[in-house]
Amino acid sequence: MREKHGAWSALFAEKGATLSKYFLRRVSHRWDAQDLVQEVYLRLLRIGPDDAANIRSPEAYLFTVAANLVKEHAVLRQQQPLGSDELDQVVEQLVAPTNVEADMDSALRSERLGVLIDRLSPKCKAVLIMHYRDDMSYRDIAECMSISTNMVKKYIVKGLAACRQRMADYE
Amino acid sequence: MNDSTQFDAARQARRITEQAVSWYIEQQEPLSERQRVAFLNWLRASPRHVAEYFAVAQMHGDFKAAAALKTITAEQLVEQAGRDNPVVMFPLMGPAMRKEPAPRTGRTHRALKAVAGVAAAVVMAWLGTDYWRASRGNIEQMYQGDVASVRSLTLPDGTLVQLEQGGAIHVHFDGRYRRIEVVRGNALFDVGKDAKRPMFVSVGGHVLQDIGTVFDVKRDAGGDTLTVISGRVRVLDAPASALKGMDLPLLDGVVVADLTAGQQISMGATQVGTKQPAQIAKVTAWLPSEIRFQHETIGNVARRFNAYTSKPLVIDNATIADERISGIFHANNPQAFAAYLATLPDVRVIDESDRVRVVASNQTAIKADRL
Repeated sequence: MREKHGAWSALFAEKGATLSKYFLRRVSHRWDAQDLVQEVYLRLLRIGPDDAANIRSPEAYLFTVAANLVKEHAVLRQQQPLGSDELDQVVEQLVAPTNVEADMDSALRSERLGVLIDRLSPKCKAVLIMHYRDDMSYRDIAECMSISTNMVKKYIVKGLAACRQRMADYE
Repeated sequence: MNDSTQFDAARQARRITEQAVSWYIEQQEPLSERQRVAFLNWLRASPRHVAEYFAVAQMHGDFKAAAALKTITAEQLVEQAGRDNPVVMFPLMGPAMRKEPAPRTGRTHRALKAVAGVAAAVVMAWLGTDYWRASRGNIEQMYQGDVASVRSLTLPDGTLVQLEQGGAIHVHFDGRYRRIEVVRGNALFDVGKDAKRPMFVSVGGHVLQDIGTVFDVKRDAGGDTLTVISGRVRVLDAPASALKGMDLPLLDGVVVADLTAGQQISMGATQVGTKQPAQIAKVTAWLPSEIRFQHETIGNVARRFNAYTSKPLVIDNATIADERISGIFHANNPQAFAAYLATLPDVRVIDESDRVRVVASNQTAIKADRL
Protein backbone atom coordinates (compact mmCIF):
# COMPACT_ATOMS: atom_id res chain seq x y z
CA MET A 1 0.00 0.00 0.00
CA ARG A 2 2.67 2.42 0.98
CA GLU A 3 4.35 2.57 -2.42
CA LYS A 4 1.07 3.85 -3.77
CA HIS A 5 1.35 6.96 -1.65
CA GLY A 6 3.91 8.65 -3.83
CA ALA A 7 1.68 8.35 -6.86
CA TRP A 8 -1.35 9.41 -4.89
CA SER A 9 0.41 12.41 -3.56
CA ALA A 10 1.20 13.62 -7.07
CA LEU A 11 -2.29 12.81 -8.23
CA PHE A 12 -3.96 14.72 -5.46
CA ALA A 13 -1.69 17.68 -5.75
CA GLU A 14 -3.22 17.95 -9.19
CA LYS A 15 -6.64 16.52 -8.64
CA GLY A 16 -7.49 17.52 -5.10
CA ALA A 17 -10.49 19.47 -6.29
CA THR A 18 -11.76 16.68 -8.42
CA LEU A 19 -11.61 14.38 -5.46
CA SER A 20 -13.74 16.63 -3.32
CA LYS A 21 -16.15 17.10 -6.17
CA TYR A 22 -16.21 13.35 -6.54
CA PHE A 23 -16.76 13.14 -2.83
CA LEU A 24 -19.79 15.35 -2.91
CA ARG A 25 -21.13 13.78 -6.09
CA ARG A 26 -20.88 10.26 -4.81
CA VAL A 27 -22.87 11.00 -1.70
CA SER A 28 -26.42 12.14 -2.03
CA HIS A 29 -26.35 15.21 0.18
CA ARG A 30 -24.08 17.30 2.33
CA TRP A 31 -24.86 15.54 5.55
CA ASP A 32 -23.29 12.41 4.13
CA ALA A 33 -20.17 14.34 3.23
CA GLN A 34 -19.94 15.54 6.81
CA ASP A 35 -20.33 11.98 8.04
CA LEU A 36 -17.50 10.98 5.77
CA VAL A 37 -15.25 13.70 7.14
CA GLN A 38 -16.08 12.47 10.62
CA GLU A 39 -15.21 8.92 9.62
CA VAL A 40 -11.95 10.01 8.00
CA TYR A 41 -11.13 11.79 11.21
CA LEU A 42 -11.85 8.75 13.36
CA ARG A 43 -9.59 6.62 11.18
CA LEU A 44 -6.82 9.16 11.56
CA LEU A 45 -7.24 8.95 15.32
CA ARG A 46 -6.90 5.17 15.19
CA ILE A 47 -3.42 5.31 13.69
CA GLY A 48 -0.99 3.95 16.26
CA PRO A 49 2.16 5.91 17.11
CA ASP A 50 4.42 3.44 15.28
CA ASP A 51 2.32 3.56 12.13
CA ALA A 52 2.14 7.33 12.29
CA ALA A 53 5.92 7.53 12.14
CA ASN A 54 5.87 5.36 8.99
CA ILE A 55 3.45 7.46 7.02
CA ARG A 56 5.60 9.12 4.41
CA SER A 57 2.94 11.50 3.17
CA PRO A 58 0.15 12.26 5.59
CA GLU A 59 -1.67 14.13 2.86
CA ALA A 60 -1.71 11.15 0.51
CA TYR A 61 -2.75 9.00 3.43
CA LEU A 62 -5.59 11.37 4.18
CA PHE A 63 -6.91 11.28 0.64
CA THR A 64 -6.45 7.52 0.36
CA VAL A 65 -8.47 6.95 3.49
CA ALA A 66 -11.11 9.30 2.11
CA ALA A 67 -11.25 7.57 -1.28
CA ASN A 68 -11.55 4.16 0.35
CA LEU A 69 -14.36 5.41 2.53
CA VAL A 70 -16.18 6.78 -0.48
CA LYS A 71 -15.97 3.36 -2.04
CA GLU A 72 -17.21 1.62 1.10
CA HIS A 73 -19.98 4.13 1.36
CA ALA A 74 -21.07 3.51 -2.21
CA VAL A 75 -21.23 -0.22 -1.54
CA LEU A 76 -23.19 0.32 1.66
CA ARG A 77 -25.72 2.49 -0.11
CA GLN A 78 -25.91 -0.05 -2.91
CA GLN A 79 -25.14 2.61 -5.41
CA GLN A 80 -23.43 1.78 -8.61
CA PRO A 81 -20.34 -0.10 -7.58
CA LEU A 82 -16.98 1.20 -8.68
CA GLY A 83 -15.96 -2.06 -10.29
CA SER A 84 -12.93 -3.63 -8.69
CA ASP A 85 -11.18 -2.46 -5.56
CA GLU A 86 -8.20 -1.33 -7.56
CA LEU A 87 -7.15 2.23 -6.90
CA ASP A 88 -6.56 2.62 -10.61
CA GLN A 89 -10.27 2.43 -11.19
CA VAL A 90 -10.83 5.28 -8.79
CA VAL A 91 -8.07 7.22 -10.45
CA GLU A 92 -9.80 6.89 -13.77
CA GLN A 93 -13.02 8.14 -12.28
CA LEU A 94 -11.21 11.07 -10.81
CA VAL A 95 -9.37 12.03 -13.95
CA ALA A 96 -12.35 11.69 -16.28
CA PRO A 97 -15.34 13.11 -14.48
CA THR A 98 -18.48 12.60 -16.52
CA ASN A 99 -21.00 14.36 -14.36
CA VAL A 100 -22.01 17.52 -16.18
CA GLU A 101 -23.61 19.03 -13.11
CA ALA A 102 -20.40 18.80 -11.16
CA ASP A 103 -18.55 20.60 -13.94
CA MET A 104 -21.08 23.38 -13.94
CA ASP A 105 -20.62 23.75 -10.22
CA SER A 106 -16.95 24.14 -10.86
CA ALA A 107 -17.55 26.90 -13.42
CA LEU A 108 -19.79 28.72 -10.97
CA ARG A 109 -17.26 28.36 -8.19
CA SER A 110 -14.51 29.72 -10.43
CA GLU A 111 -16.66 32.68 -11.29
CA ARG A 112 -17.33 33.42 -7.64
CA LEU A 113 -13.68 33.01 -6.86
CA GLY A 114 -12.91 35.48 -9.64
CA VAL A 115 -15.07 38.08 -7.92
CA LEU A 116 -13.37 37.40 -4.59
CA ILE A 117 -9.91 37.70 -6.14
CA ASP A 118 -10.77 41.21 -7.32
CA ARG A 119 -11.61 42.19 -3.76
CA LEU A 120 -8.20 41.26 -2.39
CA SER A 121 -5.60 43.94 -1.80
CA PRO A 122 -3.79 44.85 -5.04
CA LYS A 123 -0.57 43.15 -3.85
CA CYS A 124 -2.28 39.98 -2.82
CA LYS A 125 -4.23 39.87 -6.06
CA ALA A 126 -1.10 40.48 -8.15
CA VAL A 127 0.81 37.67 -6.44
CA LEU A 128 -2.02 35.16 -6.78
CA ILE A 129 -2.75 35.86 -10.43
CA MET A 130 0.91 35.75 -11.38
CA HIS A 131 1.31 32.44 -9.62
CA TYR A 132 -1.88 30.68 -10.64
CA ARG A 133 -2.47 32.14 -14.09
CA ASP A 134 1.06 32.83 -15.31
CA ASP A 135 2.70 29.92 -13.47
CA MET A 136 5.39 32.24 -12.14
CA SER A 137 7.61 30.91 -9.37
CA TYR A 138 7.71 32.61 -5.98
CA ARG A 139 11.16 33.87 -6.82
CA ASP A 140 10.12 35.43 -10.13
CA ILE A 141 7.12 37.07 -8.52
CA ALA A 142 9.32 38.38 -5.71
CA GLU A 143 11.64 39.97 -8.24
CA CYS A 144 8.76 41.45 -10.22
CA MET A 145 7.14 42.96 -7.14
CA SER A 146 10.32 43.95 -5.30
CA ILE A 147 9.40 41.92 -2.25
CA SER A 148 10.95 38.84 -0.63
CA THR A 149 9.99 35.29 -1.65
CA ASN A 150 8.86 34.83 1.92
CA MET A 151 6.39 37.68 1.49
CA VAL A 152 5.16 36.13 -1.76
CA LYS A 153 4.35 32.95 0.11
CA LYS A 154 2.62 34.95 2.83
CA TYR A 155 0.48 36.77 0.29
CA ILE A 156 -0.49 33.45 -1.29
CA VAL A 157 -1.51 31.93 2.02
CA LYS A 158 -3.31 35.09 3.04
CA GLY A 159 -5.12 35.43 -0.28
CA LEU A 160 -6.19 31.79 -0.46
CA ALA A 161 -7.38 31.89 3.14
CA ALA A 162 -9.38 35.06 2.51
CA CYS A 163 -10.99 33.53 -0.58
CA ARG A 164 -11.75 30.28 1.19
CA GLN A 165 -13.38 32.13 4.10
CA ARG A 166 -15.56 34.09 1.74
CA MET A 167 -16.39 31.04 -0.34
CA ALA A 168 -17.54 29.44 2.92
CA ASP A 169 -20.06 32.29 3.16
CA TYR A 170 -21.66 30.95 -0.01
CA GLU A 171 -22.11 27.46 1.42
CA MET B 1 -25.12 31.73 21.07
CA ASN B 2 -24.35 35.22 22.28
CA ASP B 3 -22.44 37.77 20.25
CA SER B 4 -19.02 37.40 21.78
CA THR B 5 -19.03 33.63 21.25
CA GLN B 6 -20.20 34.21 17.71
CA PHE B 7 -17.26 36.54 17.35
CA ASP B 8 -14.90 33.94 18.78
CA ALA B 9 -16.34 31.28 16.49
CA ALA B 10 -15.67 33.41 13.43
CA ARG B 11 -12.13 34.06 14.63
CA GLN B 12 -11.54 30.36 15.18
CA ALA B 13 -12.91 29.46 11.74
CA ARG B 14 -10.56 32.00 10.25
CA ARG B 15 -7.60 30.52 12.07
CA ILE B 16 -8.42 26.98 10.97
CA THR B 17 -8.69 28.16 7.36
CA GLU B 18 -5.30 29.83 7.54
CA GLN B 19 -3.72 26.73 9.05
CA ALA B 20 -5.30 24.50 6.39
CA VAL B 21 -4.06 26.78 3.60
CA SER B 22 -0.58 26.94 5.12
CA TRP B 23 -0.39 23.15 5.30
CA TYR B 24 -1.74 22.80 1.79
CA ILE B 25 0.91 25.15 0.42
CA GLU B 26 3.62 23.37 2.42
CA GLN B 27 2.89 20.14 0.54
CA GLN B 28 4.40 21.62 -2.61
CA GLU B 29 7.75 20.52 -1.25
CA PRO B 30 8.34 17.23 0.54
CA LEU B 31 7.68 17.67 4.25
CA SER B 32 10.42 17.12 6.77
CA GLU B 33 9.81 14.42 9.34
CA ARG B 34 9.01 17.03 11.96
CA GLN B 35 6.52 18.69 9.62
CA ARG B 36 4.90 15.35 8.80
CA VAL B 37 4.30 14.69 12.46
CA ALA B 38 3.02 18.22 12.99
CA PHE B 39 0.68 17.97 10.02
CA LEU B 40 -0.72 14.63 11.11
CA ASN B 41 -1.21 15.96 14.62
CA TRP B 42 -2.97 18.98 13.24
CA LEU B 43 -5.35 16.77 11.23
CA ARG B 44 -5.97 14.61 14.25
CA ALA B 45 -6.69 17.56 16.47
CA SER B 46 -10.19 18.14 15.14
CA PRO B 47 -12.57 16.89 12.45
CA ARG B 48 -13.00 20.53 11.51
CA HIS B 49 -9.36 20.54 10.46
CA VAL B 50 -9.98 17.55 8.21
CA ALA B 51 -13.08 19.13 6.69
CA GLU B 52 -11.33 22.44 6.12
CA TYR B 53 -8.36 20.73 4.51
CA PHE B 54 -10.67 19.06 1.99
CA ALA B 55 -12.40 22.37 1.37
CA VAL B 56 -9.11 24.14 0.74
CA ALA B 57 -8.01 21.36 -1.62
CA GLN B 58 -11.24 21.80 -3.54
CA MET B 59 -10.95 25.56 -3.73
CA HIS B 60 -7.34 25.33 -4.79
CA GLY B 61 -8.42 23.20 -7.77
CA ASP B 62 -10.82 25.94 -8.84
CA PHE B 63 -8.36 28.71 -8.24
CA LYS B 64 -6.32 28.19 -11.37
CA ALA B 65 -9.46 28.30 -13.49
CA ALA B 66 -10.56 31.47 -11.71
CA ALA B 67 -7.19 33.15 -12.18
CA ALA B 68 -7.10 32.12 -15.84
CA LEU B 69 -10.22 34.20 -16.46
CA LYS B 70 -8.40 37.39 -15.47
CA THR B 71 -7.34 39.47 -18.43
CA ILE B 72 -5.29 42.07 -16.56
CA THR B 73 -1.61 41.99 -17.55
CA ALA B 74 1.20 41.27 -15.13
CA GLU B 75 2.51 44.80 -15.69
CA GLN B 76 -0.83 46.30 -14.72
CA LEU B 77 -0.94 44.10 -11.64
CA VAL B 78 2.48 45.26 -10.55
CA GLU B 79 1.54 48.87 -11.19
CA GLN B 80 -1.66 48.60 -9.17
CA ALA B 81 0.19 46.90 -6.35
CA GLY B 82 2.81 49.65 -6.36
CA ARG B 83 0.21 52.37 -6.12
CA ASP B 84 -1.20 50.60 -3.10
CA ASN B 85 1.90 51.50 -1.16
CA PRO B 86 1.72 54.72 0.80
CA VAL B 87 4.90 56.70 0.72
CA VAL B 88 6.63 58.88 3.24
CA MET B 89 9.02 61.19 1.50
CA PHE B 90 12.04 62.66 3.10
CA PRO B 91 13.48 65.21 3.55
CA LEU B 92 11.86 68.64 3.18
CA MET B 93 10.08 69.18 -0.06
CA GLY B 94 8.78 72.63 0.75
CA PRO B 95 6.29 74.51 -1.35
CA ALA B 96 7.62 73.15 -4.65
CA MET B 97 4.95 70.51 -4.84
CA ARG B 98 2.16 72.95 -5.48
CA LYS B 99 1.84 73.43 -9.20
CA GLU B 100 3.33 70.29 -10.71
CA PRO B 101 1.08 68.02 -12.74
CA ALA B 102 0.66 64.50 -11.43
CA PRO B 103 3.01 62.48 -13.61
CA ARG B 104 2.34 59.10 -12.09
CA THR B 105 -0.04 57.64 -14.60
CA GLY B 106 1.78 59.23 -17.46
CA ARG B 107 1.26 59.72 -21.16
CA THR B 108 -2.01 59.17 -22.94
CA HIS B 109 -4.15 58.38 -19.97
CA ARG B 110 -3.60 61.70 -18.32
CA ALA B 111 -6.09 63.69 -20.37
CA LEU B 112 -8.65 60.93 -20.04
CA LYS B 113 -8.11 60.82 -16.32
CA ALA B 114 -8.59 64.55 -16.07
CA VAL B 115 -11.92 64.26 -17.85
CA ALA B 116 -12.89 61.35 -15.63
CA GLY B 117 -11.89 63.41 -12.61
CA VAL B 118 -14.11 66.30 -13.62
CA ALA B 119 -16.97 63.93 -14.35
CA ALA B 120 -16.49 62.32 -10.95
CA ALA B 121 -16.42 65.72 -9.31
CA VAL B 122 -19.72 66.64 -10.93
CA VAL B 123 -21.31 63.36 -9.94
CA MET B 124 -20.03 63.68 -6.39
CA ALA B 125 -21.28 67.25 -6.11
CA TRP B 126 -24.63 65.98 -7.20
CA LEU B 127 -24.56 63.14 -4.66
CA GLY B 128 -23.77 65.59 -1.88
CA THR B 129 -20.55 66.44 -0.16
CA ASP B 130 -20.90 64.40 2.98
CA TYR B 131 -20.45 61.15 1.13
CA TRP B 132 -17.06 60.72 2.75
CA ARG B 133 -15.38 58.28 0.41
CA ALA B 134 -15.33 60.51 -2.58
CA SER B 135 -16.35 64.07 -1.86
CA ARG B 136 -14.00 66.56 -3.39
CA GLY B 137 -14.17 69.86 -1.56
CA ASN B 138 -11.30 72.28 -2.00
CA ILE B 139 -10.14 73.95 1.14
CA GLU B 140 -7.45 76.25 2.47
CA GLN B 141 -7.58 76.59 6.21
CA MET B 142 -5.68 76.52 9.48
CA TYR B 143 -7.12 74.36 12.26
CA GLN B 144 -6.14 74.87 15.90
CA GLY B 145 -6.67 72.31 18.63
CA ASP B 146 -9.27 73.06 21.29
CA VAL B 147 -8.13 74.31 24.69
CA ALA B 148 -10.01 71.78 26.78
CA SER B 149 -10.00 68.53 24.83
CA VAL B 150 -8.89 66.69 21.73
CA ARG B 151 -10.56 68.09 18.65
CA SER B 152 -12.05 65.82 16.01
CA LEU B 153 -12.21 67.13 12.47
CA THR B 154 -13.74 65.65 9.38
CA LEU B 155 -12.23 67.13 6.24
CA PRO B 156 -14.22 67.36 2.99
CA ASP B 157 -12.50 64.30 1.52
CA GLY B 158 -13.53 62.19 4.48
CA THR B 159 -10.17 62.32 6.22
CA LEU B 160 -10.59 62.21 9.99
CA VAL B 161 -8.13 64.18 12.08
CA GLN B 162 -7.73 64.09 15.84
CA LEU B 163 -5.88 67.16 17.00
CA GLU B 164 -4.24 67.48 20.38
CA GLN B 165 -4.86 70.45 22.68
CA GLY B 166 -2.59 73.20 21.42
CA GLY B 167 -1.89 71.36 18.19
CA ALA B 168 -2.26 72.98 14.79
CA ILE B 169 -2.51 71.82 11.20
CA HIS B 170 -2.73 73.68 7.96
CA VAL B 171 -4.97 72.11 5.34
CA HIS B 172 -4.73 72.85 1.66
CA PHE B 173 -6.79 70.79 -0.77
CA ASP B 174 -6.99 71.66 -4.42
CA GLY B 175 -8.08 69.76 -7.50
CA ARG B 176 -4.81 67.90 -7.73
CA TYR B 177 -3.41 67.25 -4.29
CA ARG B 178 -4.49 67.12 -0.71
CA ARG B 179 -1.83 68.65 1.52
CA ILE B 180 -1.72 68.95 5.27
CA GLU B 181 1.08 70.46 7.27
CA VAL B 182 1.42 69.47 10.89
CA VAL B 183 2.50 72.78 12.40
CA ARG B 184 2.76 71.65 15.99
CA GLY B 185 1.61 69.06 18.48
CA ASN B 186 0.22 65.59 18.06
CA ALA B 187 -2.15 64.67 15.28
CA LEU B 188 -3.69 61.45 14.19
CA PHE B 189 -4.87 60.90 10.63
CA ASP B 190 -7.28 58.44 9.16
CA VAL B 191 -6.90 59.32 5.53
CA GLY B 192 -9.98 59.35 3.33
CA LYS B 193 -9.71 57.57 0.00
CA ASP B 194 -9.33 59.71 -3.09
CA ALA B 195 -7.15 57.93 -5.62
CA LYS B 196 -7.15 60.92 -7.96
CA ARG B 197 -5.81 63.38 -5.40
CA PRO B 198 -2.87 62.01 -3.43
CA MET B 199 -2.54 63.09 0.17
CA PHE B 200 0.71 64.59 1.42
CA VAL B 201 1.29 65.29 5.05
CA SER B 202 4.39 67.30 5.79
CA VAL B 203 6.00 67.11 9.19
CA GLY B 204 8.97 69.36 9.66
CA GLY B 205 11.55 68.05 7.26
CA HIS B 206 9.51 65.06 6.17
CA VAL B 207 6.68 64.49 3.83
CA LEU B 208 4.34 61.63 4.05
CA GLN B 209 2.16 60.37 1.31
CA ASP B 210 -0.63 58.14 2.28
CA ILE B 211 -3.55 56.26 0.85
CA GLY B 212 -6.03 54.85 3.29
CA THR B 213 -4.04 54.20 6.40
CA VAL B 214 -4.21 55.44 9.96
CA PHE B 215 -1.12 56.99 11.45
CA ASP B 216 -0.04 59.23 14.26
CA VAL B 217 2.39 62.11 13.88
CA LYS B 218 4.02 63.71 16.89
CA ARG B 219 5.97 66.92 16.55
CA ASP B 220 8.46 67.48 19.28
CA ALA B 221 11.53 69.58 19.87
CA GLY B 222 13.54 66.37 20.18
CA GLY B 223 12.42 65.13 16.76
CA ASP B 224 9.26 63.96 15.09
CA THR B 225 7.71 60.54 15.47
CA LEU B 226 5.60 58.63 13.01
CA THR B 227 3.54 55.68 14.19
CA VAL B 228 1.52 53.55 11.80
CA ILE B 229 -1.66 52.35 13.49
CA SER B 230 -3.00 50.39 10.53
CA GLY B 231 -2.03 49.99 6.91
CA ARG B 232 1.45 50.46 5.59
CA VAL B 233 3.78 53.36 5.07
CA ARG B 234 7.04 53.61 3.20
CA VAL B 235 9.67 56.10 4.24
CA LEU B 236 11.86 57.25 1.41
CA ASP B 237 14.94 59.38 1.22
CA ALA B 238 14.11 61.37 -1.85
CA PRO B 239 16.27 63.81 -3.81
CA ALA B 240 14.81 67.30 -3.92
CA SER B 241 14.41 67.06 -7.70
CA ALA B 242 12.17 64.01 -7.43
CA LEU B 243 10.11 65.70 -4.74
CA LYS B 244 9.73 68.74 -6.88
CA GLY B 245 8.10 66.82 -9.67
CA MET B 246 6.13 64.57 -7.35
CA ASP B 247 7.36 61.82 -9.59
CA LEU B 248 6.81 58.87 -7.32
CA PRO B 249 8.39 56.24 -9.56
CA LEU B 250 11.63 58.22 -9.36
CA LEU B 251 11.65 57.64 -5.63
CA ASP B 252 12.19 53.93 -6.07
CA GLY B 253 15.38 52.57 -4.66
CA VAL B 254 15.80 55.06 -1.85
CA VAL B 255 13.65 53.28 0.67
CA VAL B 256 14.66 54.16 4.18
CA ALA B 257 12.14 51.97 5.93
CA ASP B 258 8.89 50.14 5.42
CA LEU B 259 6.50 50.56 8.26
CA THR B 260 3.54 48.32 8.83
CA ALA B 261 0.78 48.50 11.40
CA GLY B 262 2.15 48.80 14.91
CA GLN B 263 5.56 50.16 13.95
CA GLN B 264 7.14 53.44 14.82
CA ILE B 265 10.03 55.49 13.56
CA SER B 266 11.67 58.69 14.71
CA MET B 267 12.48 61.28 12.09
CA GLY B 268 15.26 63.72 12.77
CA ALA B 269 16.16 66.66 10.59
CA THR B 270 18.70 64.72 8.54
CA GLN B 271 18.09 61.07 9.24
CA VAL B 272 15.46 58.63 10.34
CA GLY B 273 15.90 56.22 13.24
CA THR B 274 15.39 52.49 13.08
CA LYS B 275 11.84 51.26 13.05
CA GLN B 276 10.61 49.60 16.17
CA PRO B 277 7.42 48.09 17.50
CA ALA B 278 5.16 50.75 18.94
CA GLN B 279 2.91 50.47 21.94
CA ILE B 280 -0.25 51.68 20.29
CA ALA B 281 -1.93 52.29 23.64
CA LYS B 282 0.91 54.58 24.66
CA VAL B 283 1.02 56.39 21.33
CA THR B 284 -2.70 57.05 21.43
CA ALA B 285 -2.80 57.85 25.16
CA TRP B 286 -3.38 61.51 24.32
CA LEU B 287 -6.64 60.62 22.60
CA PRO B 288 -9.84 60.58 24.66
CA SER B 289 -10.46 57.29 26.45
CA GLU B 290 -14.09 57.31 25.45
CA ILE B 291 -15.70 57.58 22.09
CA ARG B 292 -18.98 59.45 22.33
CA PHE B 293 -21.18 59.91 19.35
CA GLN B 294 -24.62 61.29 18.79
CA HIS B 295 -26.53 60.39 15.68
CA GLU B 296 -23.27 59.63 13.88
CA THR B 297 -22.92 57.26 10.91
CA ILE B 298 -21.59 53.78 11.72
CA GLY B 299 -18.90 54.29 9.10
CA ASN B 300 -17.52 57.33 10.90
CA VAL B 301 -17.73 55.77 14.35
CA ALA B 302 -15.83 52.72 13.10
CA ARG B 303 -13.09 54.97 11.80
CA ARG B 304 -12.79 56.68 15.15
CA PHE B 305 -12.17 53.31 16.76
CA ASN B 306 -9.60 52.58 14.08
CA ALA B 307 -7.38 55.28 15.53
CA TYR B 308 -6.76 53.01 18.50
CA THR B 309 -6.16 49.63 16.94
CA SER B 310 -3.95 47.91 14.42
CA LYS B 311 -6.85 45.66 13.48
CA PRO B 312 -9.29 48.04 11.84
CA LEU B 313 -13.03 47.72 11.64
CA VAL B 314 -14.07 47.74 7.99
CA ILE B 315 -17.72 48.45 7.22
CA ASP B 316 -18.15 46.59 3.96
CA ASN B 317 -21.67 47.67 3.22
CA ALA B 318 -22.71 51.20 2.28
CA THR B 319 -26.17 50.91 3.83
CA ILE B 320 -24.76 49.87 7.19
CA ALA B 321 -22.01 52.50 7.00
CA ASP B 322 -24.60 55.25 6.50
CA GLU B 323 -26.83 54.17 9.34
CA ARG B 324 -26.81 56.60 12.27
CA ILE B 325 -26.36 55.57 15.87
CA SER B 326 -25.62 57.16 19.26
CA GLY B 327 -23.62 55.87 22.19
CA ILE B 328 -20.54 55.91 24.38
CA PHE B 329 -17.83 53.26 24.19
CA HIS B 330 -14.41 52.72 25.69
CA ALA B 331 -12.08 53.70 22.90
CA ASN B 332 -9.64 50.87 23.58
CA ASN B 333 -12.33 48.24 23.22
CA PRO B 334 -13.34 48.07 19.56
CA GLN B 335 -14.48 44.48 20.20
CA ALA B 336 -17.33 45.82 22.30
CA PHE B 337 -18.38 48.06 19.45
CA ALA B 338 -18.13 45.18 16.96
CA ALA B 339 -20.22 43.02 19.30
CA TYR B 340 -22.74 45.84 19.49
CA LEU B 341 -22.88 46.06 15.68
CA ALA B 342 -23.50 42.32 15.52
CA THR B 343 -26.69 42.85 17.53
CA LEU B 344 -28.13 45.14 14.85
CA PRO B 345 -30.60 43.50 12.49
CA ASP B 346 -29.09 42.09 9.30
CA VAL B 347 -25.51 42.84 10.36
CA ARG B 348 -22.79 40.22 10.46
CA VAL B 349 -19.33 40.69 11.94
CA ILE B 350 -16.46 38.66 10.50
CA ASP B 351 -13.19 38.58 12.40
CA GLU B 352 -10.24 38.24 10.06
CA SER B 353 -6.57 38.12 10.91
CA ASP B 354 -5.83 41.74 10.02
CA ARG B 355 -9.24 43.37 10.23
CA VAL B 356 -12.77 43.01 11.45
CA ARG B 357 -15.24 43.11 8.61
CA VAL B 358 -18.86 44.20 9.04
CA VAL B 359 -21.21 43.04 6.31
CA ALA B 360 -24.94 42.67 5.78
CA SER B 361 -26.13 39.19 6.65
CA ASN B 362 -27.85 38.94 3.28
CA GLN B 363 -24.87 40.37 1.41
CA THR B 364 -23.48 37.10 0.14
CA ALA B 365 -26.92 35.87 -0.87
CA ILE B 366 -27.45 38.94 -3.02
CA LYS B 367 -24.10 38.47 -4.67
CA ALA B 368 -24.82 34.84 -5.35
CA ASP B 369 -27.98 35.84 -7.15
CA ARG B 370 -26.14 38.25 -9.31
CA LEU B 371 -23.55 35.76 -10.42
